Amino acid sequence: MSVSTPDAAQAAAASARRAERAEAAGRWFIAVLLVVGALAMLVPFYVMLAMSFKTMSEIDRTSVWAWPVEFTWENFRLVLTNPNVSFVKFLRNSTVIAVISTAGVIVSSSLVAYAFARLKFRGRNRLFVLLLSTMMLPGIVTMIPTFVLYKYLYWIDTFMPLTVPAWFGGGAYNIFLLRQFFMGLPRELDEAALIDGASHATIFWRIVMPLSGPALATVGVFSFIYNWRDFMGPLLYLNSPEKQTLELGLRTYSALNGERWDLVMAASVLVMIPLLVIFAVGQKYFVKGIAMSGLK
Amino acid sequence: MPWRWLILTLLLCVACVAPAQEPKKVTLRLTSWDGDESLRVLRKSIARFEERYPHIEVRLENIDWSLYFQKILTQYAANVAPDVAMMGFQNFQSLAKRGALLPLNEFFDETPGFDINEYYKEIVDAHSFHGNVYVLPRDIAPISLIYYNKRMFDEAGIPYPDGTWTWDFKVRPELREKDFLWVVRELTKKDGGGKTTRWGYAPGWPQLLADSFALPYAGDPVDNLEAPTKILANSEKHAEAYQFAADLMNKEKWVPNNAEVVNVLQTNTRAMFTSQRVAMFQSGIWEVPNIRKVLEPGKTGFFDYDITWFPAFRDGSRRYSTGGSGYCILSSTKHPKEAWLLTQWMAGPEGMKDLAESGLAQPAIRGLSLREPWIPGPNTPEPMQYPKNRIVTDTSVPHVTFGPTADYWPEVRDLVNARLDGLWNGETTAKAALDRGVAEGQARMDAILVEQHLPPFNWWIGLALGAVVIGGMLFWVYWPERHVKATLREKQESRTAYWFISPFLIGLVVFTLGPMVLSLLMSFADWDVILPARWRGMQNYQEAFSGDPRFWVSLRVTFVYTFFAVPLGVLGSLGLALLLNQKVRGMPLYRTCYYLPSLASVVAASLIWRRLFQPEGGLVNTVIYGADGKGDFLGLATFLGRYSPTGEPVNWLGNEATALPALIIMSLWGIGGGMVILLAGLQAIPQHYYEAALLDGAGTWKKFRNVTFPLLTPSLFFVLITGVIGSFQVFTQAFVITAGGPGDSTRFFMLHLYNQAFTSLRMGYASALAWVLFVIILFFTMVQFKMSKWVYYESEVK
Repeated sequence: MSVSTPDAAQAAAASARRAERAEAAGRWFIAVLLVVGALAMLVPFYVMLAMSFKTMSEIDRTSVWAWPVEFTWENFRLVLTNPNVSFVKFLRNSTVIAVISTAGVIVSSSLVAYAFARLKFRGRNRLFVLLLSTMMLPGIVTMIPTFVLYKYLYWIDTFMPLTVPAWFGGGAYNIFLLRQFFMGLPRELDEAALIDGASHATIFWRIVMPLSGPALATVGVFSFIYNWRDFMGPLLYLNSPEKQTLELGLRTYSALNGERWDLVMAASVLVMIPLLVIFAVGQKYFVKGIAMSGLK
Repeated sequence: MPWRWLILTLLLCVACVAPAQEPKKVTLRLTSWDGDESLRVLRKSIARFEERYPHIEVRLENIDWSLYFQKILTQYAANVAPDVAMMGFQNFQSLAKRGALLPLNEFFDETPGFDINEYYKEIVDAHSFHGNVYVLPRDIAPISLIYYNKRMFDEAGIPYPDGTWTWDFKVRPELREKDFLWVVRELTKKDGGGKTTRWGYAPGWPQLLADSFALPYAGDPVDNLEAPTKILANSEKHAEAYQFAADLMNKEKWVPNNAEVVNVLQTNTRAMFTSQRVAMFQSGIWEVPNIRKVLEPGKTGFFDYDITWFPAFRDGSRRYSTGGSGYCILSSTKHPKEAWLLTQWMAGPEGMKDLAESGLAQPAIRGLSLREPWIPGPNTPEPMQYPKNRIVTDTSVPHVTFGPTADYWPEVRDLVNARLDGLWNGETTAKAALDRGVAEGQARMDAILVEQHLPPFNWWIGLALGAVVIGGMLFWVYWPERHVKATLREKQESRTAYWFISPFLIGLVVFTLGPMVLSLLMSFADWDVILPARWRGMQNYQEAFSGDPRFWVSLRVTFVYTFFAVPLGVLGSLGLALLLNQKVRGMPLYRTCYYLPSLASVVAASLIWRRLFQPEGGLVNTVIYGADGKGDFLGLATFLGRYSPTGEPVNWLGNEATALPALIIMSLWGIGGGMVILLAGLQAIPQHYYEAALLDGAGTWKKFRNVTFPLLTPSLFFVLITGVIGSFQVFTQAFVITAGGPGDSTRFFMLHLYNQAFTSLRMGYASALAWVLFVIILFFTMVQFKMSKWVYYESEVK
């Protein structure tokens, strides 16, 4: 359509401006929605934080929205110095378990993923299907028998059930992710090395792994967070208060002090802090990792 | 290179875990269910014990009451039992029957100066089984005590109770203070609108009041206390007594309603007594340390209080339930002699002295419970004088009953009691609730009595089955390639590859396939992992489908939850992802805000939301009903009116109809997880598709329908499948906040399974449940795959 006459041009310009305004209004509307939604999402955090700084009597008297008038650190002090329940120990336990597990996941899943990505072997395709199917296996079928297994190994109430399985395969999802990544690496490097007589182990260690930093970091971050938040595992396998993790310990603490909202919220804040720190540090890996699963 | 750091951290962690070397000391683990206050008393006794026996170290562990006995049993099953455990008379038979406890009689003879006859005979007998004493009693605790606020009696002009009062089913004003109900009524204060502002009486827990009436009036809840075969708890008289108690809470309103106490006020009745919201409070003597903490003479908030005993029935008969505890030695202990020393200390004159001073527990040695410091006298310091009338604890003893003592009773009793929540809330009648509970309890009891004879399980079947499965798997993997000839190079590569995937293969067999086979086998057995397994054939599955009322309920709860939470969640994530995909400023910040909740610790999140759903003072109700309770946000208050008959703000987690919706709402807080995946999927859609669509003149809707949506379907499919699988296995929220209640409204399948496996130790039955759920999940996953023609895979088109 030709914009020849000045009237038509003006009309076109006017409608373009209207469209622009509509678009701007639309964007405004979206922005408002997003802000409201984001605030709504953050409100529970706010309440948790506010309540952890209030005394019990203030909680009873004032509105739940209010920032504490009598700001106090007392709750945190009480939680951290409780003789029966030690959050410092919980933190240590969670860290140890998560670190050992994550190391195991990174090591073993990269080994397995490399084989599936780069090597040809008998039964590879069917074994891969088997791998995929374990990804969707609900944990309940294996929960009870593994408990029995650990009982006979005398591993209950140790960190073993929570750390050892990570070294044997490291989770199907991680293997899948790394396999995708490895398949995306150029083969020329491998081939050059092979011609030079390098073994697959060398290629894996010297060529592929150094290039895989981001992918491994992603797998590591996801695995760490998953481990950190695990509740069922510690619930089943950990008994003594000294061995409990933060998640389990928080639950134990709230069961003993259920009505003391001030203390329970302070404890919750303590448990949340490491998660937030990890997220802040590993933020970019989250997004990358999800994009990398290449769900196309 | 980061590798060095990784290895360093790893070594550090392993070092933290390695046990430190210690000199030759015997360490004993002691478990107790006491709360913080009472633990202080225990620690004192333990400190003096360690002084007396320097080569023994005692580690005190605290397990909360609601889980205590199951935990000890489970710990024993897992080979991590303590050495000495606090134990109750209702629960020790489970352990004794399984050989988990050491009989103590030999120790009696070996210890000079020890005489078991010094203990109240009633409680020693209650802790014996087939002639052996398994638990050395340390205290007896008749639950007949009524703590009363003297100031309130003075204000009302009523003389203090002297123990001669009686109760009847109606108020007898002619007896004045000799009639229990009259006193309760007189001490209750109501406001102009008829709402109670001060209750005359509150029991430690609702059933206490009902049983206080039922025991003298209706008798025992079973036909035979030692070997019950028939439950009588729903007889006419029992129903009458229970209804009477419930009416006092919901009709007369002289007694606070339990839902009010727990969910609305979020406190307990003892705290209500010390904060002067109730005039009289019934419980056992163990409340004293906590009461003393708040009511100290000279401090603000103090009022003069004392105890008396619950009135006799009008015909003079008295019957009280009782608590009581002692210490037992687990048979798995490595140090029986030291364990006995500890047991005898804690449950002997030394330990009882500390208990008596704190007012916490009445010594099980009669001589001690008749002297100072238990009965306050001239040498007792002032704070320990209260409550003064403690002689009542001794006079109550001849009237106590320990209830049914069979080892299978606690499980059956819990089934009966689970149906009573509705009664205390006024939602159902006593007869209806009791009939229902007794029917279920009786069914279970009958099943248990039948089950006492089953053939042993043959584990060779297991090996055979395992071999078949592994064989089948190998066949499936390698058969198609049997003809393929491999070159030497290829064979070498294959061998290397197998080294690489060996962790996966080992993990597959040891942690996946093996357990699956074992789980299948166990589903045909009756096994508590302590005694040898017994063969049950298909009975576990039969019981699930026709004999377990909670099976269908929990399936329904899980299905309903999935049906609502997953679509809502996916739609929400989709909406958010679409919004965020617009060119908005500060997108990463928004994304973080929305994603953060899904990262939050599940336990912490559950706790916060529990608080947010609190009827009075919780965020949700403050928004809906406004700060003064009269608001109506978006008309929700009127909509929710049907769930709150009294017109008060809805009690989300305390009302059977709203508890599950509350959890569904809570799950929506975590839609950020799905959103991030969908957003990544959206951003992966190449721009040129949109440009092409624009050239074709497509508007927003057309763009969405023909470009965005199809290319997003793989991500959507992923989110949907993982969402369904995940929501079928929801556990933590229910476990932490609701424990399946109220009633069964949040009894998720995983929770039911967990309870069967790790609380009742019915591992065989739980395995059968696990397989049922597995098949269901498998079915739904396959259905979704079959129906996934709507998923558009770009790569397939070429």
